[in-house]
Amino acid sequence: MAKRPHALLLKYPGTNCDAETSRALEAVGFETQVLPIALLESHALDNTQLVVFSGGFSYGDYVMSGRFAKLNTLAKVGDGLQQFVSRGGHVLGICNGFQILTQLHLLPEGSLIHNTSGRFICRWAGLKKNAASPYLHALPDEFELPVAHAEGRFVGIDDAAGQYVQNGRAALLYTSDVNGSSQQIAGLQDETGRVFGLMPHPERFTAKQHHYDPDWNGDADHGWGYYMFKSVREAV
Amino acid sequence: MTKTYEITGKFESEGNAQSLLYAPPAHPLTFRRTTRYLFEYDGSEAALDAFVQKVLVDPISQEYHNDGLPLWDNTTFILDYGMKGGALDLEKETILNYYRKLAAPGFELKKLTLKTRIYVFGEGADSSVFVRDIVNPAIHTWEVVLKTAA
Repeated sequence: MAKRPHALLLKYPGTNCDAETSRALEAVGFETQVLPIALLESHALDNTQLVVFSGGFSYGDYVMSGRFAKLNTLAKVGDGLQQFVSRGGHVLGICNGFQILTQLHLLPEGSLIHNTSGRFICRWAGLKKNAASPYLHALPDEFELPVAHAEGRFVGIDDAAGQYVQNGRAALLYTSDVNGSSQQIAGLQDETGRVFGLMPHPERFTAKQHHYDPDWNGDADHGWGYYMFKSVREAV
Repeated sequence: MTKTYEITGKFESEGNAQSLLYAPPAHPLTFRRTTRYLFEYDGSEAALDAFVQKVLVDPISQEYHNDGLPLWDNTTFILDYGMKGGALDLEKETILNYYRKLAAPGFELKKLTLKTRIYVFGEGADSSVFVRDIVNPAIHTWEVVLKTAA
């Protein structure tokens, strides 16, 4: 029996989606480990194939979302994550994890700021693939996932968002204006395609029963989130 | 020495002040919200600036001002509020925890105070309504500055 790939889920004070994300990763064949940031050491990155930043409110989103997660991660591993990616490692950031990845500069330059509504939103969002990504390949061109965030509006300097849509860094877009995000960007990937961050929560739609419509029949067995994690498994 | 940094979002604009209140105001009003960090410190001012830019400011979406002057001069009033000295300010504690872990910060941070600042624009604004609906007197201190300038 083939050895299962290892996924390391970093847990900060305030991270609260690690359990669901871990279950979703195990369902597609990963061996998972949830590691509190206080226990993170550089060598932890030597024995894993996927580093995951789960959703939540790390450090209470104080100052701005992802800021203290970034500072404390850098204090722990320095440029260890960049080295991990350059060695072929994969990184996934979901919601607050996406915010942390942008702060860590592991994704194309930009920031995730307060929604234009000024309010936390919790709803389902239509999504469409804008470019090929190993994290999305098992999904249809358009699908739905839940979103739940106060700071999900992507902004970049000048027309960075437009360039990301053109060059495929913006691999995932909303089908409508959900939060004021520039170019309706919902997810970004780096130039290698191995680092991916998105605001929606795939771990909240792994079973078809998670859908708000009890008669939903988009797929016979699973929710769309399952197919995202399946894509990750195949990519790794 | 004391230095104040006021941070505002580059992509933010005036919002409808009704969103701050429990009941619609009598007249249409708008607002801007900023955060002010008041540092009492000894040591290098340049090191403090570097700390603020690294820890408190996002260069893409935010900008900071440290001249102590109001950012807009056509306000009806300004409301400043923050946690009382005896109340636990978790955001302040998170910043202080990070500062305490620095091996050589280059300055000694003696006291940090955080204030949220609300600039209210529009004729007929009643500051007491904003104080009533925004401030919690059990945990907050606050100050209203009327009519900043022409």
